[in-house]
Amino acid sequence: MNAVETNDLGKRYGNAWALRECTLAIPAGHVAALVGPNGAGKSTLLNLVVGLAAPSAGIVTVLDGQPAGSAAALDGVAFVAQDAPLYKNLTASEMLHLTRNLNRNFDEGYAKGRLRELGIPLDRKAGKLSGGQQSQLALSLALARRPQLLVLDEPMAMLDPLARHDFMATVMAAIADHGLSVVLSSHVLTELERVADYLVLISHGNVQVAGVVDDLLARHRVLTGPAVEADSYAERLNLVHAQRGEAQAHMLVRIDARTGPVPPGWETHPVSLEELTLAYLREPDAAWLPGPGRALRLEPTEVAN
Amino acid sequence: MAWVTWRQHRVALAGVVALFGAAAAYLLVTGLPIHDAYAAVAGCRPTGSDLCNKVVNDFLRTYAPGVGVTFGLLQAIPALIGAFAGAPLLAREFETGTFRYAWTQGFGRTRWTVAKLVPLAVAVTIASAAFSLLVSWYVQPIIDAGDNNGPLYPTLFDLSGVALAAWTLAALAIGLFAGILVRRVVPAMFATIASWAALAFVTGAFLRAHYLAPVVTSNTNIPTGAWIINQGWFKGGNPASLDLINQTFAPVDVRALTPDLFQPGPATPANLGDPVQYLIQHGLTHWTTYQPAGRFWTFQWIEGGWLIALSLILIAATVWLVRRRAA
Amino acid sequence: MTIDKPPRPGGSELASAAARRPASPIAFRLDPASGVPTYLQLVQQVEHALRLGYLKPGDQLPKVRDAVASLAINPNTVLKAYRDLETKGLVAGRPGQGTFIRATLSRVALPELAELRRSLLVWLATAGAAGLDEDGIVALVTSALRDLREPRGEREGVA
Repeated sequence: MNAVETNDLGKRYGNAWALRECTLAIPAGHVAALVGPNGAGKSTLLNLVVGLAAPSAGIVTVLDGQPAGSAAALDGVAFVAQDAPLYKNLTASEMLHLTRNLNRNFDEGYAKGRLRELGIPLDRKAGKLSGGQQSQLALSLALARRPQLLVLDEPMAMLDPLARHDFMATVMAAIADHGLSVVLSSHVLTELERVADYLVLISHGNVQVAGVVDDLLARHRVLTGPAVEADSYAERLNLVHAQRGEAQAHMLVRIDARTGPVPPGWETHPVSLEELTLAYLREPDAAWLPGPGRALRLEPTEVAN
Repeated sequence: MAWVTWRQHRVALAGVVALFGAAAAYLLVTGLPIHDAYAAVAGCRPTGSDLCNKVVNDFLRTYAPGVGVTFGLLQAIPALIGAFAGAPLLAREFETGTFRYAWTQGFGRTRWTVAKLVPLAVAVTIASAAFSLLVSWYVQPIIDAGDNNGPLYPTLFDLSGVALAAWTLAALAIGLFAGILVRRVVPAMFATIASWAALAFVTGAFLRAHYLAPVVTSNTNIPTGAWIINQGWFKGGNPASLDLINQTFAPVDVRALTPDLFQPGPATPANLGDPVQYLIQHGLTHWTTYQPAGRFWTFQWIEGGWLIALSLILIAATVWLVRRRAA
Repeated sequence: MTIDKPPRPGGSELASAAARRPASPIAFRLDPASGVPTYLQLVQQVEHALRLGYLKPGDQLPKVRDAVASLAINPNTVLKAYRDLETKGLVAGRPGQGTFIRATLSRVALPELAELRRSLLVWLATAGAAGLDEDGIVALVTSALRDLREPRGEREGVA
């Protein structure tokens, strides 16, 4: 099943489209990373997925076809927004109580255990915790709901490197234990490589790249060769982005069935996720969208409940 | 969810209780002396004699102004409740971003909103209804003594009967609606106070006077406690100016300081009688537009009715906006 | 082979997890700067541990959950590595229990090792004479290894 499906999804604020023509199918059981520059539309897409915003065009469904924001979706989807919003004047223990009262499933033992391990005192007001502790508290609350889909918006912005590691370790362990799907947006490309197996690249409100990371990396190469020949091969080799020196050029190319062989005298190298992401971000017109291939129902439904 | 509402809004609820509590204590402390003093007035015999009239007037002159000031101050209560209990409820969620937590929990945003609004509205209505009983007790001696400002007088009317509860509920509804429209706490509070004050002013100054067609009379004896909306001297269908009044008075050397205040002069004949009758005999008519005191409860139900309808509409609009509001 | 994380106040998940279950003889580490895909690093570490004798047939590999909790990597990556090892015949999964070593890597016998070393030294001398420096040699060897690793079928498009 698909954790998230969108069909021609768009969101407009006033006259400006924050997101448009977004068609995605993120399979369940994966960690999907949403990457892109500031203002690209990442938060907009996440808000649409969790039902905080309603589409201006198209539809978005979660967990195998539930309309985003519907009662079933709210039950199965947990969201930690940017800056980990918490009620600052409630203690950690009261936040647990609150979350328990607002949800059908809540594993209070798990939440308390995690907070104890992290050294977060239950009787301290949330506003008095450090930024990292607030993020961890918000994550613990979300995970204790035992969601099927966890959505994180820039979850690690306030965390130091050790805290970032612990945060991700917690999320990954939850996936191993409960088969959770995760969609997270992030700036930090290097960490995504370890964690993400599905990539969505958004730039200027448009989805540039959407696909399984392994496929993505398998289908791209960097070719290194004489700069003078670079232009003549660019078209044939599906050039995404080129870096040139006087004599030498590197071309990041996309391989498909129609691509010709590597020109003689050129070397090939595999590509890292970071390199690939940066290349696409530098070339707004380039795109790689293998397509979801599944027809979606087209009746829009408004936010229920 | 009851725990949720209590834990998150116990300060607001406590504030409402404290506000009414403090006001109630003040009314009790100042009201008991008034009631004691009135006992002497009520027991004065023979009723209607000059002596007893003087006793009544002394009583009113001593206590009525203070009561008037008190009522002026109490006018603020509904607006304060609307601003401090109503406006922040939703506005704070947006200002701090916590709606991104609250509206993505399994409970859902609509039920969450309703489960907060309803208890708050009920608590506020009950508290204000109880308080208005105390207001009625407080002002009873002044009314019984026949003060010119009867129960329909604006600053008294909206604190008594069902009006206080209705105005407080309306203030709360305005606050809630402002909260979700403006989405910032302090601006929403200002918007609440400003809107409520404007509504109260328009109602008191213009709307209330016309709930039922006012009584218009040329009789100069107006029933006790009537709410006088308009009165003045007319000649031949046109308003008579002060100059015209003075011209009419010229032969008997009476000066009109205001249309109600006439000062006899040295040359005024001793058998003049009532200067008011003199003017009437000389072609002027005194028209008074008023609402009789007996219409108090009718007006209370009319005003309470449309205020409650307005409150329900605003609350429904608030919930509708919650359902529709984008992040 | 690996260094445990320093204990943090309140105890770490890893420590408590280890206390509950019999630990695998090895633990994984990650070198994010190596350029080698994560799953491949795990495969290589298992093969290396086998080679050096840290792992013997019957030993259990780290549970997916434990590897994931200590390295903060995607569980699918660990599963992919274990599948890879299974395809190579080195490990076998037991449902509900974990993944266990099945066979050893074929060890190269000492005389063969000595012969390979000798022919390598000859080749290195030739390369040096042709003007290749140390980095050049390493680059050439790495590239050749990569060509060897990728089966011909996958490389059709980029011959």
